[in-house]
Parts: sequence; structure tokens; C-alpha cells
Amino acid sequence: MVSRLSALERAPVFFSFQESTLRALARRIRRVTVPAGEMVVYQGEPGDTIFFIERGRCRVVIEKPPGAVTVAVLAEGDFFGDAACLLNRPQQASVYAQTDCSLLALDRQSAHTVLAGREPGAIEELQKLADQRFHSFADTSVQATWGMLLEEATVVGVYSPKGGSGGTCVSLNLVGALARRHPGEVLLLDLDFPYSHSALLAGLVPSSCLARTASVPQEPFEEVLLSAILVHSGGPMILPGALRPEEADEVTPELVTRAIAVLRKTFRYIVVDLGVTITDATLALFDLTQHVVLVTVPELSSVKSSADALDILVQLGTPPDRLTVVLNNRTERPAVSKPAVERALKREVDIEIAFDGNRPEQAAVDGQILSLTNPRSEMARGSETLAALLIGKHSRRVT
Amino acid sequence: MIRAAHAAGPILRAHSELRRVAIRRQLQAVAAGKSTGVPSDAVESRYGAARTVEEITAGLREDSLPVQLLQVAFKNSLVADGVIERLQGKSIHERLGAARLVAALRMYEATPWLVPLLAAKDPSVADASARALGRIGGAASATALLHAIRRRGLNRRLIAELARGAPDLFLESALAHPPRPALRPALAIAAGLRRRRTAITPLLALLQRGSRKERVITCRALGWIGATTAVPVIEAALDDRDWKIRMSAAKALGALRAGSSRPALERLYTDPNPKVRRAAHQAVRRLTHGA
Repeated sequence: MVSRLSALERAPVFFSFQESTLRALARRIRRVTVPAGEMVVYQGEPGDTIFFIERGRCRVVIEKPPGAVTVAVLAEGDFFGDAACLLNRPQQASVYAQTDCSLLALDRQSAHTVLAGREPGAIEELQKLADQRFHSFADTSVQATWGMLLEEATVVGVYSPKGGSGGTCVSLNLVGALARRHPGEVLLLDLDFPYSHSALLAGLVPSSCLARTASVPQEPFEEVLLSAILVHSGGPMILPGALRPEEADEVTPELVTRAIAVLRKTFRYIVVDLGVTITDATLALFDLTQHVVLVTVPELSSVKSSADALDILVQLGTPPDRLTVVLNNRTERPAVSKPAVERALKREVDIEIAFDGNRPEQAAVDGQILSLTNPRSEMARGSETLAALLIGKHSRRVT
Repeated sequence: MIRAAHAAGPILRAHSELRRVAIRRQLQAVAAGKSTGVPSDAVESRYGAARTVEEITAGLREDSLPVQLLQVAFKNSLVADGVIERLQGKSIHERLGAARLVAALRMYEATPWLVPLLAAKDPSVADASARALGRIGGAASATALLHAIRRRGLNRRLIAELARGAPDLFLESALAHPPRPALRPALAIAAGLRRRRTAITPLLALLQRGSRKERVITCRALGWIGATTAVPVIEAALDDRDWKIRMSAAKALGALRAGSSRPALERLYTDPNPKVRRAAHQAVRRLTHGA
């Protein structure tokens, strides 16, 4: 009872209520525990309950086929479901528990029973507030599709479920290939934690990163974020996620969403190196991507991990036509053949990068991007094909 | 004397009928926003106010204008208090009429008085009370209905009203942590009838770990919800040793229009149990014709 009361006291929506009213509400409130990943409300369904987050984080997702976009991440003290409960409108967005959550559920009947007698006009006030929030969410929902409406950047996630698959190399060369066509309009966001080394591999020395913008207020955020971007002489730009391993924790889903919202207005293509581990930030980014590139190598463990990753991506709602599988041959004679890889993945390999000798390693040592310096290398050819595929699928602006 | 009483009968009936019509018109005027008062004798069951309000509010949501106008008029005219008092009345007709009126008006305040009526000896009063709680909804109503199910077992009316009145995530959390394991089948049916996608995960867990009865019910519930993500799990249930589970899974796949399950359903054409065979044929027919 005490914890429920204190949770209600923290909710800004109840600031003006008398303590006796809050106590009456706390008596009627239900505590619901939701495991991570579970759906709390589903977009479009009716609802009759306001949920207050007592503990944990929830992801608000607007589903706009063919994809879904995370429009907010709610934490302790936040609430949702108010428009459906108070205004009898269908749920505006789906809400998923991002972590194990403890929610306090106040149903419509309890709210009316308590507030009608004690706080005259309170229901009307809450309805007004719910209406305001409904419209602000609707605006966010429109912003979520700005990429399509206002021709903003296409976000491409490059994910390799096993370390050493060449995910960073593919990302870097893809950025190079895209930048050859659109110099200054392509960004590589390096979220390969804990060690983000894309900038070093491209021969650049980073001085700032995304993690260091976490504490920057909203107003100067865009300026600070853009000033952290490194410019490569060949055209691409690179934004490191973190410079030190411990800074990786600063890159939260909220920060990623905030940063992508800014970067999408500035660039034509944003390639995100998602690294190996699936974190909350990676999950948030999967929601923001228009295309996912899965990099695998013809090795048993890598193929198995890739098959699992494909399942996860499908579960996350990635449409098959927005998913490209790249097979990167890192040895001259691979242990697993391409047909065997395809059988294990239950889908075709879209692009195969032939063995390129020690060129990728040498390019890394020299701080060069093969797709910019050696177009005849296998890595550059593979990246070109990948870039052409992405441009074919996502080209919107005619220059 | 007897002749006089005999003669008064039709007059009383006519008077009563006139009053009934007058109250009906008054309530219609209130719902239309043309009047704000409700006569104090409207609560008397012989005047049929419950039926009139039910007719006016049928199919309307609780926040619709006619419902709200009627609610306000009943409260301001202090007739609502009379209705709640009648929920404790001695006559069955009084309690029945009051419960119907409370249901039609969605009077949240009446919930504590409705709960004891769920245990009424007269089934019509218990049913009317369940119906009222279902229409009023909320956690208090749903908890009371759940307790009644625990006492009375799998009662159709109670389960239907639980599905109607349970607030968001009530059934889902009760399915995950039921107050009594015996309640799970009722909760699964209610979750299926409620058709919320949030119930899919707890139902899937029940399908994989539940008892025979629970699994039979859960298959159907997932079919009602239209849980296409559950198709592989339901398809696996087609091979269960229990014929009821196989039959239920076949019906669910038919309801889900799971075209990919056609070969698995066709395998059941040779099932030893005729009911399973029939369910498989019907399911395939639904896949083909969408009937």
C-alpha cells in the first residue's frame, strides 16, 4: 500500500490531488508484473486501464507496416494507456516491457469511483491531459515516418552474430561504396561495443563519441552530436559509439533514438555497425532501421548463430525483403559450403564476398577503406553490390 | 365487496400501464437531453424502467451521451439510491429489476451491493448480478466474478461476464499466477473470449505446460484470439495422444485459417477417433472456403 501510494505521489498527473484521494486510489490499484519482452498493450485494441511504471522500462512502439518504430522509452513514474482508458480510444501504440517491469494498473471503474466523489472536475482534467498526450503522440507517430514522408536518411543496420565475421569491415566498406555516390551524405554509426574501432580502421582519430552526448540537454544536443562526427577524406563520415569500454553503458535506447532522429535529417544513409551482442540499444536500433544486413562466415558456429539471429530478426518484425544476408569468405577454402550455409539459414545468401587474401587486414593497418582505394578487391566488389542493392531498394531522391 | 375489488382490477392495471408509459417517455426524454428528472417511482419493477433503460442503452458505450444523461438524472433525482437499496430487497423481482437497471446504467457505485447477489439462491438474480458486474467491469467486478467461478465452477454466464468486465492484463496476470489452479480453464476461456493479443503468451505457456483440460481449452482460446504466432505450437498438439486435444487443435487451426497446417490436418483424416476426423475435415473446409 505504501509503495503504491508513493508511486502515485510521484506521478505528475496526480500532483494536485488530496492525500485522501491518492490513498483511495492506491487501495484500488493493482500491481502487475510483466517479464521483459512481453506485450503490455497492443496498438489498435481497446483499453480500460492506465498503467504507471513502478519499476522497469517500457518501449512504446508504433507499428506502421512494413515496420515498427519505437517512439518512446518510458521509465519509473511514467504512465501510458490514459487515452484508451479515459477517452475510450483504441490504443495508439503497442507497449512492450523492455526490462522486467512492475506496473500499477488503475482501471477506469476504479478511477471513476474514487475521483467522481472526491475530486470534482478531476476526470475532465485527466481527459484533457490524455487528449493532449494523445495528440503529441500522434505527432511523434508522424515524425516516426518522416524518413518516408520527408525523404530522410535510410538507416541500415549491419549485424554479425559472431565476432570475427568481418561485420565492421563490411560496414566500413559499405559506407565507402555509398559515399562514392553520395559524398558527405553517408554516416557510419559504430555501436560495436565494447570496442568501437571503425574510426581507427579508417585512419581517423576520434576525440568524442555518441556516449559523451548522453548528458547534453536537448537544445545544444544536435550541435554537440554533429560536432562529434569524424570526416573521412574519401567522403564517408564516422560517429563512434564509445571511446572507452565503460562508456558503452551510456548509450541507452533513448540516446540512440534521440541521436537517430537528429542524424536522419542530416544524412542520406546511416549505416550502423551493430556488433555482436544484442543490447537494449541494439534492439531500439532494430526498430529504427529500414534494412538489416546480416554478415556471416562459412564456419559452423557462425552459421548456427546466424540462423538463430535470423529467427530473432523475424520475431522482431523485420520483413524478409528488408533483410540481406552477406557471406564473407575469410579463408581460401571454407569449411562449410555456400549451399550448406543456405540450408542452415533456410534462405538464400544474397551477396557472397570472395576470399580477399590479406587485403582487408592490410587496409586496416594502413587506415584505408578498400571500397575507396582498391575497387578491384573482393571486399570492395561485395560492398559495391551491397550498396547497389540498398540504393535500389531505398532510393527515394533523384539527384 | 368482491365485485368492487373485481371491478378495480382493470382500473389498477390501466393506471399501472399509463404510469409505465409515462415513465418510459420521461426516460426517453432524459436520454435525448430534453428533461433532467427521473420520477421517484421509476424504481418500481412493475413500471419496467429497467427494460426501458436497457432498450435505450443497448449497444451504447458507457461514455455515450444518452448513458451519461441517464446516469446523471438518476443520481440527481436520488433515484439511484433507491435502486441500490432495492438490490438488497426481499423480493426477487425487486433485486432482479434493480440489477438490470444498474447494469444498463453502468453504475460503478453499485458494485459492492452486486457482489453478494452472485451467491443468490435464485439463478435469475445471480445471473442478473453477474451480467451487471460484467457490464460495469473493473478489477473489483472481475475479482468478484472470479470468486463466484471458484464457488460455482465453469459457469457460462460468469465466464462470459468475466471476459467482458475484466480490465486490461487482469486475465493475463491471473493466468500466470492464478489464485487457485482450478481457475485456469475458466481464465483461459475468458481470455479467448476477450480476444486480446496480450493473452497469447500466457495461453501459450498454458498450452505447453497445462493439464489435459487446460490444453483443450487453450487451443480453442488461441483460435478465437486469432493468434497466428501460436500456429506451430497448436500444430504440434495435433499429434497429442489425447483425442480431445487433437480435436481442439484442429478446430483452432481452422479458426486461424492456418493454410500452412493443411497437410498436418489432412493427416488426421485417418485418425482413429471419428470426432477428430470430423474436426479435421471441418478445419480444412474452413481453410479452403473460409467458412
